[in-house]
Amino acid sequence: MTPEDIGLRNQTYRLFVELGRAPSAEEVAAARGTTEPEVLDGWRRLHDEHALVLAADGSQLRMANPFSAVPTNYRVHADGRWWYANCAWDAFGICAALHCDGRIETSCPDCGEALSVEVRDHVPDDPSLLFHCLLPAAQWWDDIVFT
Amino acid sequence: MNLFRSGEHADRWLDGRPPGATLTVGKLGELAVAWWGDRLSPQWTPHTREQNQAVLQQLGLRDNFWQLR
Repeated sequence: MTPEDIGLRNQTYRLFVELGRAPSAEEVAAARGTTEPEVLDGWRRLHDEHALVLAADGSQLRMANPFSAVPTNYRVHADGRWWYANCAWDAFGICAALHCDGRIETSCPDCGEALSVEVRDHVPDDPSLLFHCLLPAAQWWDDIVFT
Repeated sequence: MNLFRSGEHADRWLDGRPPGATLTVGKLGELAVAWWGDRLSPQWTPHTREQNQAVLQQLGLRDNFWQLR
């Protein structure tokens, strides 16, 4: 990963947090003083390096892990905003990345009952809940959206 | 990667599929800090596979399930 691509990745993440949503390629290009096609080319390289995840058409962000660019079943209230996480691990990851407390809201995939977890100093208030990871680590990036 | 009310709920959801790995949410909180804590740092640089594997190992996640590719 080149220093230029690392800079693009870091600016993309910074804008994601500033805006409270995924930035468009046009917004990132404006912030970097470059062009939208150059941002899209860089995003594709970062996608290939697993530094972010593009939507299927390659024109917008799908994930800036742990943040999700699209609504999911994992909502996180942290740093004064609501965010979407890609999964349970990422939901805790949003609090970790923002270095703040938060509240995770989701539902049990089995029974559908609402689950709400307060995270204080990265410690959940309900230790009875269980995290389940279906796929082994070697397969996570085979289909990261499914993972 | 999901949160369940309990192991019983996870087993029922699996519906006969092979189970993956389970962690307490306390352990998940520790893992999240170690894995994601630097993601918004202005000085972020890519993690190597070895760095990521070391994070897992330091939290006791050492078996084949947690071996990255």
